[in-house]
Amino acid sequence: MENESLKNLAIKELLLQLADDDFIHAYRGSEWLGLAPHIEEDVASSSIAQDTMGHAVIYYKLLEEIGEGTADWLAHDRQAHERRNAIILEAANGPGHYMKDPDYDWAFAVVRNYFYTQAKAIRIQSLQSSSYAPLAEVAQKVQMELYYHLMHWKVWFVQLLGSGHKEAVSRMKTAIEKTLPDFAGIFSLGQFGEEMVEQGLIEGEAAIQKKWIDAVTPIFESVGVATTFEIGMEKGDGRNGVHTEDLKTALDTLSEVYASDKAASW
Amino acid sequence: MEPRQEAYFEEFEVFSRKTKSAPVQYHYSLLAPNEDIAIMMAQENFMRREAVDDIWIVKRQNIRKMTADEKKTLQRMDNKDYRTTKGYGYLKKKWRKYEQDMLDEKEIMSWAGGVKNGE
Amino acid sequence: MNVLLNEMAEQEKLKHFIARIDAGEKIEADDWMPEDYRGTLIKLISMHGISEIMGALPEKEWVPKAPTLNRKLGIMAKVQDEMGHGQLLLRVVEDLLRPFAKKREDLMQDLFNGDLKFHNVFHMEAKTWGDAGLIGWLVDGAAIISQTNMLGASYGPYSRALHRICAEEVFHAQHGEAIIMALAEGTKEQRKLVQDSIDYWWESLLLFFGPPSKKEVGSSKQDVTIRYKIRTSTNEELRQAFFSKYVKRILSLGYTIPDETLRFDEESKTWIYQQPDWSKLKVLARNEGPRSQDRLKLRRISYENNKWVREALAPKVI
Repeated sequence: MENESLKNLAIKELLLQLADDDFIHAYRGSEWLGLAPHIEEDVASSSIAQDTMGHAVIYYKLLEEIGEGTADWLAHDRQAHERRNAIILEAANGPGHYMKDPDYDWAFAVVRNYFYTQAKAIRIQSLQSSSYAPLAEVAQKVQMELYYHLMHWKVWFVQLLGSGHKEAVSRMKTAIEKTLPDFAGIFSLGQFGEEMVEQGLIEGEAAIQKKWIDAVTPIFESVGVATTFEIGMEKGDGRNGVHTEDLKTALDTLSEVYASDKAASW
Repeated sequence: MEPRQEAYFEEFEVFSRKTKSAPVQYHYSLLAPNEDIAIMMAQENFMRREAVDDIWIVKRQNIRKMTADEKKTLQRMDNKDYRTTKGYGYLKKKWRKYEQDMLDEKEIMSWAGGVKNGE
Repeated sequence: MNVLLNEMAEQEKLKHFIARIDAGEKIEADDWMPEDYRGTLIKLISMHGISEIMGALPEKEWVPKAPTLNRKLGIMAKVQDEMGHGQLLLRVVEDLLRPFAKKREDLMQDLFNGDLKFHNVFHMEAKTWGDAGLIGWLVDGAAIISQTNMLGASYGPYSRALHRICAEEVFHAQHGEAIIMALAEGTKEQRKLVQDSIDYWWESLLLFFGPPSKKEVGSSKQDVTIRYKIRTSTNEELRQAFFSKYVKRILSLGYTIPDETLRFDEESKTWIYQQPDWSKLKVLARNEGPRSQDRLKLRRISYENNKWVREALAPKVI
């Protein structure tokens, strides 16, 4: 009995991690609308933000099915400390606000998007053989859309880091140095991680992190940039409800209308 | 001196086909700094609501179009029945005399996948 | 003698051009066209295109705030389409601008300088979620009326872009209707959001179609666009069509229109209405509307911030 409830808890936690990661990542993507380096890219990257939010919806629906509340409630009505996303994904796109003086950094967008998409692709691969059948099924579908997302961000990453343009290379390196120290938060499975692995829900943190390093290393090499991958969790583990001010601000914005009348139908 | 920015915006023409057997069709054009970025932009800019099997992008400067004068060369008279089956329709009557069906286009194309043996 | 010959040739070309238009043929980018035709198209389509880009901004403000997952996805897709329409239209203009060696960055500079105008509605504030819905419902509704009017435009590339745009606008209008319908059938506060939006936007919707004639603002492009078969109806005819399609819908949801004089006159078969303050169009054209400068600033910041990306990827040969 206790085992059963522990397993259910692990399933719930994993689904929350997957859903919250994609949800906040798509939210950050949606703030970029209208602000990308050129119009064609604005249109193309918006599709990725939409797809990603679509993935979050699928995970929230799985949670809804096991009685954790409606998808809309899960997305809009949980406090920061209840959220399970990795901290690196909640970080603001840059100083300023999406409506006023958005000093957004395309280099950070490209680096975070590429790193996360690559990690997501590996995680989805692993989830396809999850012992939790509904999740394994969903993972097969989500995987289809990741080919494009990954190609898209990889091209930007390679072209900008490999451009030989002084400012571009320096901005990209700064963005990499900003992303890696918190990137372990993506691989973390949180306090119920052991249970998740034991139950065969997903592969362990170390295995996924290794696959990620194996996947991105040749990309760095292809543009002649050396890196030691100092991956950490400096700001804490979002999987355990530790979050920054950036998430609180984002939650206030994304739930503003919803919170004006939670019982209403919108 | 500041580098010329214009160069970031190269013109690419976008083509695609819906299925493996469909003809490639022209869509619209887009601006991108190079082929790899152009091909990444193409689907989501022009085909985000429709099925697509393949996408081609071509730098506009590599497409040689016809000038207005050259387009005049496309006109021709309507006197070339000898090039088409239309000029040989009379054979049907001839064959009938010999109690044979004419092997017309419909008949011949129906042989795809094998001819049924028999008298 | 040569000059005379060239002039003759020009006359000949113009005659041929008018004959093609009259026969319903489409003019293509590489075809010969009279300068005022090109000039009119450039003015019209660059304003249309940049208005799509600027028009993405008021709704973009509501994208992160949309109240449900489904609404978040819908409005993201809608704003994406607006940018996409801007892309299609700017490409059409950029090809028309080739003889002047002007490109997209020149259009952006024109926008920043205030030389390139954008539609009046996109200078206004989108203060509430009700406004986000109303933009989709009525502003896009108005846009559909004016754009479908040009579907048969004599300029082929514009006509083709419009066909695609109008097909997507149908989704936009329904997206807006869905937001409005939920609010209209909702709580007292939700219902009020819609009424407030109608009250705020009504005058802008009338201004959107442009003045009935030259005398309201001093100039009007409508005669030349009709002569060259770029569009078929006058500004006033389009505004009347808007009343015919939308007034009864607004009223059917139990809302009022902030114009007590508005009525359909059976005898003249026209809508009688309170004229908007036409001088506001001039104020907006000077980018002095409630949100003109903020939105221009947003565009300028994103353009400047990403300058390094464009520089880094520019092919080195040039």
